[in-house]
Amino acid sequence: MSATMAAVGLVLPMAEGEHFPPTPGSFWQPLFAIPGTDYAFTRPMLLIAISAVVLAVWLWLTTRHAAVVPGRGQWYTEQVYNFARNGIARDMIGSKDFMRFVPFLFALFVFILLNNLFGVIPGFQNPTMARIGFPIGLTLIVYVMYHWVGLRKAGSVGAYLGGLLPSGLPGWIKPMIMFLELITFFITRPLTLALRLFGNMFAGHMLLVVFIVGGWYLFRTWDPALMAVAIPAWVLGAALTAFEALVQFLQAYVFALLAASYLGGALADEH
Amino acid sequence: MEHTTIASGVLKAAAESEPMGAGVDAVPIYPYIPELIFGTIVFALFWWFVAKKIVPSLEKAYAERTAAIEGGMQAAEQAQAEAAEAKKQYEDQLGEARAEAARIREHAKEQGAQIVAEMREQAQAEANRITETAHKQIEAERQQAMVQLRGEVGTISTALASKIVGESLEDEARQRGIVDRFLAELESGEVRPEKLGAGSEQGS
Amino acid sequence: MTGDITLLGYGVSAIGPAIAIGLIFAAYINGVARQPEAQGKLQPIAILGFALAEALAIFGLVLFFIAFFVG
Repeated sequence: MSATMAAVGLVLPMAEGEHFPPTPGSFWQPLFAIPGTDYAFTRPMLLIAISAVVLAVWLWLTTRHAAVVPGRGQWYTEQVYNFARNGIARDMIGSKDFMRFVPFLFALFVFILLNNLFGVIPGFQNPTMARIGFPIGLTLIVYVMYHWVGLRKAGSVGAYLGGLLPSGLPGWIKPMIMFLELITFFITRPLTLALRLFGNMFAGHMLLVVFIVGGWYLFRTWDPALMAVAIPAWVLGAALTAFEALVQFLQAYVFALLAASYLGGALADEH
Repeated sequence: MEHTTIASGVLKAAAESEPMGAGVDAVPIYPYIPELIFGTIVFALFWWFVAKKIVPSLEKAYAERTAAIEGGMQAAEQAQAEAAEAKKQYEDQLGEARAEAARIREHAKEQGAQIVAEMREQAQAEANRITETAHKQIEAERQQAMVQLRGEVGTISTALASKIVGESLEDEARQRGIVDRFLAELESGEVRPEKLGAGSEQGS
Repeated sequence: MTGDITLLGYGVSAIGPAIAIGLIFAAYINGVARQPEAQGKLQPIAILGFALAEALAIFGLVLFFIAFFVG
């Protein structure tokens, strides 16, 4: 992909230059080479930085003078904050020690939400989390965190691993359950957490591209019959865009909810 | 498409010259390392910012709100207590006023009775006085009438006697002496009025 | 007809999670219809169940990618 096309891609990621049907390669959008390395600075990296700055500025502006009687901006921020604080952190971790994790879960939720919504916001139109590096990074933090919290709670590695087993099992089944629990805790959980977010964003965006860019390709044939088919394709694309917005919210919620649930499980007295 | 196992495929991809996850032909589930590191750092910075700036100020506002609500409730409780106290005071005053009124009424009743008694006494005294005065007057009148009667009776009886006895009793002193003596006898009971009356009837 | 059998495999593998998600939300809707006040309690549970069932579909997608691009 040439530099000019990359520059075009910054604004209009799915412009004419794209080939149809879209491939996973469409998500590879390098902007420029990082000096001194073989690596490139990619468009999703720019988007994730923009999302962090936008969120930080918005949150800082609305809570700078946090008042007892909230203003309009503070009220909106509080709604989101309450959702993460009470709906995710408190429900999943319990009211005893959820406050420790509220900053993390709140940051996680709004961060993923905005990055997901980039998939339908005009001008961005690329969900950052469709590049698997970002979900893996977030998952690594969650992974390290819940194991660390569990270890601290149990006291020793042996006690922590022993605590994974449900109590009251007959002796002969214990090794099997232990094996399953170990797989769940150390492999399945992080894997699904990262892949779920990635897969939803990736597949959802691909779907939108198929309908919208596909409609454009049909339109450009200048064949009246195919042009007529382009219209329902776009209508469906618009409907799917609304559906995608819902999925994007849901995935941000699910990611934060599962992170909170893992943390809560690590903190629980027994399994 | 030639068939290989997943593990060998992963190894094959890792052995390729291009960095993992880079390029148009990259496998979508291989992370591009710069993206992974950059994303993690950006999120960590954002997390740090939220934990340091946003959550404390929001929690502070929440705590203040809770305090304000609790303060409001306290104020309301205080107002209620004050109202209850005022009501109690008012009721106390009302009770006192009632007692006072009852006492005044009692007092008035007593006083009224006393006044009536006094008036009665006074009236009695007055009545007594009037009665006495009347008695005295009557006595005086009686005396006067008696004196007058005595004079007239004397004259009449003298005239009668002089007619009966034919004797001139011109001598004033003697006449008076006889009449007085007669009357004194009459009063002391030596001479019975019936006899005198009968005598005078007989005489006329 | 051309194509790759892995694509078909992924399509088949998505049937199971699709049914599972349908069942989960059917149960959730039933529960909320019976007891609207329990919605707050049921929602995280439903979403968690949905996420766990969806994980299977995601596994399918991942295996498809591996088989399609690498294999």
